[in-house]
Amino acid sequence: MKRRAFMLSVGGAAAGMVLLPRMAFAAPGVIDWYTSSDQNILDFWTNVVKPKFEAANPGVTLNLVDAGDGPGNIAIGERALAALSSNADPQADYFESYDPLLPAGAIDAGLFVNMKEAGLSNWSKINPLGIESDYSMPYRGSQVLLAYDTTKLDPANVPKTWPDLIAWIKANPGQFIYNRPNKGGSGGNFVRRAIYEANGKDPSKFTTTNYPELGDAALAPAWEILKDIAPSLFDGGAYTSGNTQSIQLLGQSAVTMIPAWSDQALSAIAQGVLPETTGLVQLQDLGLPGGFSRSVVLSNGVNKEAALRLADFILTEEIQSAVLTELGGFPGVSWDYISADLREKFKDVIPESIPSFPGGEWEKAINEGWYRNVAPNVDPAS
Amino acid sequence: MTLTAASNDIVGKKQGRWPVGLLLVAMPVFLVGWMIIWPILSAVWRTVWLPDEGAGHSFSLETYRFFFSDQYSLNNLGVTLWTTGVCAILLVLICVPIALYLRFAKGRLAAYVQGLAIFPMFVPSIILSYAIIRVLGPNGTVDLLLNSVGLPKIRSPYLTPWGPVIGLVWDNIPLTVLILLSGLGNVSNQAIEAARDVGARPLAVLWHIILPRISNSILVAVSFTVLGIFSSFTLPYVLGPAAPEMMGPFMQRTFRDVNDPTMAITQAVITFAFCIVFGLFYVRSVAKNRAP
Repeated sequence: MKRRAFMLSVGGAAAGMVLLPRMAFAAPGVIDWYTSSDQNILDFWTNVVKPKFEAANPGVTLNLVDAGDGPGNIAIGERALAALSSNADPQADYFESYDPLLPAGAIDAGLFVNMKEAGLSNWSKINPLGIESDYSMPYRGSQVLLAYDTTKLDPANVPKTWPDLIAWIKANPGQFIYNRPNKGGSGGNFVRRAIYEANGKDPSKFTTTNYPELGDAALAPAWEILKDIAPSLFDGGAYTSGNTQSIQLLGQSAVTMIPAWSDQALSAIAQGVLPETTGLVQLQDLGLPGGFSRSVVLSNGVNKEAALRLADFILTEEIQSAVLTELGGFPGVSWDYISADLREKFKDVIPESIPSFPGGEWEKAINEGWYRNVAPNVDPAS
Repeated sequence: MTLTAASNDIVGKKQGRWPVGLLLVAMPVFLVGWMIIWPILSAVWRTVWLPDEGAGHSFSLETYRFFFSDQYSLNNLGVTLWTTGVCAILLVLICVPIALYLRFAKGRLAAYVQGLAIFPMFVPSIILSYAIIRVLGPNGTVDLLLNSVGLPKIRSPYLTPWGPVIGLVWDNIPLTVLILLSGLGNVSNQAIEAARDVGARPLAVLWHIILPRISNSILVAVSFTVLGIFSSFTLPYVLGPAAPEMMGPFMQRTFRDVNDPTMAITQAVITFAFCIVFGLFYVRSVAKNRAP
C-alpha cells in the first residue's frame, strides 16, 4: 500500500514536470527573426527572402516569427535586454522592423549592433533619407495613400488635397472609413495627416522629444477635424480594427475609399483581394505619412554573424528589386542602385520625400487622445 | 452510508490514504496558488501601493478613484456589463429549447442537431470573427441573398455592440447546451410520465417538473459563460465599435498602446471583482449540490 502510494505520487509529479514549460534554447545556425508587420511582409520573407538567403548561405536557416504588433516586438526586445544583463540567451537575433530607442536605454546597454560600423558591404548604398540611427538599417519604405473604387469614383474627380478629401467625404456620407490609429498604420497615418493639417502642414514641427512642449494643444484641433467628418464616415462614424479590415470593406464594395499602405494595397490588388478597378492616389498638398522600416540586429544573439550577413543580403540589388516588384514597397537603398528599367517602371510611386511622424510620447498621446475625443462619437444605441 | 465502512476495508487503513489524496490535489492547488492567487494579490498590491511624490511608495486608491470618476472608463464597463447580460439572456433562451429537444428527441435528426450545436466549440474565434464580417458584414452573404430576391439590405451589426453579441452567443452555445444536457439527465422519464398520467400539459411539465430540476444547471451554465464573455477579447476587438470598448480590448490597449500598466492592472482588478461575483454563484450552486 505504502509503496503504491509512493509510486502514484512520484508518477504524478513526474507527469507534472513533463507538462511544465520546457526551457528553449536558440539553435546555432537558425536565425530567430521577429516582425510586427502585416501578413504581406511575412509572406515576402517566407516566399522570397528566406529561400534566396538559405540558398546563398548553406547551413543557415531563418526562423520567421510573427510577434503580432509593435508592442509584441518590444516585449521580445525587453526579454533580450533582460537576457543581456544576465548573460542569458535572448532567443532572438533579428528584428525586421524595430525602433532601437525602445526599450529605453537599450542602445547604451549595448543591446543592438551598430549597423554603420558593422562592416556591411552595402551600407553605403542606403538612401540617406531613411537613416534615423546608426543602430537600425532601413531596407524598405512604404507610404499610406488613398485606395478607391474607380467604378464608383471617376479617377478624374478623385480628391488630391486634404480640403478636397474632406469635402468629398462630407459629400459622400458612409463611403469612407479609416482604422483605429493604434491598430494599424493606414488609419494611424491618416490621423497623423490630420494632425499635420491642424498644425500648418509642417512635418518638421514634430520631433520625437517635443511632445511635452507642444502637448495636447497641437492635437486638440486635429480631434476637431476628425470629429467633424465622423458623422460622414461609414455607418455614421465606425472605425475598423486594422489595415486588413479596411481593405476587406473596400473589397466588399461597402465603402468607396480608404487610406491604405501602398505595399499592402498593391499586394491586395495582385492577389485579387481588391479588384483590378482599385485606384491609388496620394494627396498632393502633403502626402499621407509613411516611412522606412528599419531592421536591427541584437548584439547578444547566438547567430549575430549570420544575422549581419542577412542584413547585408537584403540590401543587395536582388532583394531590393524584389521589394519593388514583389512587395510593392520602395527600396531602402538609393534609386541609383536599382536597375534602370525598374526605376522607369515605378517612377510614379517614387516619393520625393516622405513625411514621417515621430514616435515616442506622441504615439501614446495620439492613441489615447483619439479614443477619448474622436471614437465616442459612435452612438452605441445606433 | 453503509458503503463507507466497507470501502474502508477494501482500501485499507485510513492513515494510509491521506498522503495519496493530498498529493493528488497538491499539483492543482500549487498551480492555482502560483498562477492565479499570487498574480491577483500582486495585482491588487501594485494598484494600491503607488509611487508617491517622494522617492518611496504609499497606500493610494488614486487609480480606482480615476476609473470610477472617468466617464470613458465607466462607459466601457457599462458596455461590458450590457454585452454580458444580453448574451446570458440570449444563451438561456436559445439553449434551453435545444437542450430539451436533444434530451427527449430520438433518431438521426437529433444527432445532426447535436452535431450542429457542438460545432462552434471547434471554430477558433478569430476565424469566426472574419466569417461574421463576410456573412453579416456590409454587402456580405446575407445582403447578397436578400438582394437576389429583391429585399433591402440588413442593418449590419459589424462595428456595433451587436457584432460581439452575435459572435459570443454563437461561440458559447456548445458549452451551455452541454451543461444543460447534463442537468436534464437528472430529470427521470418516470417523473414526466407520472405527471402526464395525472393530466399535466407540456407547459406544466416544463414548469413544475423539468425547470426546478435543471435550475441549478442553468445557474452553472450562466455563470460559466458569463465569466468567459466578461473578459472576452477577440470578438469584441474585431467586431465591436471603437468606443465604448469592452474591458478585454480596453485593458490590452491601456497596457500596450497607452503604455500605462498600473491603470491596465486596475481595470483588470475591477474586471476580476465582477467575475468573482459570478464565480461565487457557481461555487454556491456546486456546494449546494454536494450537500447530502
